[in-house]
Amino acid sequence: MKTRITLLVILLCSLSTLQAQGRYVTKSGEIQFEASVPSFEEVKAKNSGVSAILKSETGEFAALALVKGFRFKVALMEEHFNENYIESSKYPKSTFKGKIKGFDISGLSASKKEYLFVGTINLHGEAKEIEVPAMISLVDDCVTVSLEFVLKPEEFNIKIPKIVSSKIAEDINVVAVFSLKK
Amino acid sequence: MNKRRRLLLAVLLLLAGGYFAYNYMYKEHRDISSETSKLEISASYLLERYKTNDGDELLNTTITVNGLITQVEEGTVTLDSGVHCSLIDGSVGLVEGSKMTIKGRCIGYDDLFEIVKLDQCTIIK
Repeated sequence: MKTRITLLVILLCSLSTLQAQGRYVTKSGEIQFEASVPSFEEVKAKNSGVSAILKSETGEFAALALVKGFRFKVALMEEHFNENYIESSKYPKSTFKGKIKGFDISGLSASKKEYLFVGTINLHGEAKEIEVPAMISLVDDCVTVSLEFVLKPEEFNIKIPKIVSSKIAEDINVVAVFSLKK
Repeated sequence: MNKRRRLLLAVLLLLAGGYFAYNYMYKEHRDISSETSKLEISASYLLERYKTNDGDELLNTTITVNGLITQVEEGTVTLDSGVHCSLIDGSVGLVEGSKMTIKGRCIGYDDLFEIVKLDQCTIIK
């Protein structure tokens, strides 16, 4: 009887640690940003190879985008973005590190629930603290995180020359979607 | 007559200028699949180069990488657990364990997963 109980205790303990070690990952998250101004050429790019890790027991979240992976429709725009503005040869990575406030994996379901992401964005060699809302859902062991927020170039020391400033919006809308799997 | 000629010349110049300006503004994207690769390297050695900080010069260049497929995901394959390739034509029909040679553009090192990433990849064999 005693051994049975100890076995049961061991089994329960190992089960709970297994559950606690949930790490949800993706290597093909999507980040899209747009800074278009009406009646001018669309300023929009997408990166479909963004990495992200979510630790389900603590709600810690980290994402990394390789800046060269942002693709524009217009080749010249992509070239200017890389060479003049974001300087992707000097700063090839952009990251987010932070936490999802009050995250609880057992509270997730197929219907989207709003959470708050708190952390630091690193871009163009500059760090900025941000707090952005996110919608999170869970379907078949796949956690889907979608975020929408606004960034400004000057917050990351990115200078837009006067001649083109009328063609690029001051607010850059960012949309990110991560489908994280175990 | 002279006036007419001058006008014609001006129109031609304008057209030519417009043509070159348009071509400059709307030039084609790089076609990685038709570029000659700068380097042929095994996937594990490529990862090693990045881990020892010897990969910066490869950023944005077209390279050819060979290795064993260790993971197949939608549109991507991972070679030797260290080089992640996004394929132009998708990953349908590719199987783990087979040997592959892939050409693509190196976009840098991902230190979250400790992998090198390539995009716009095509399969050489």
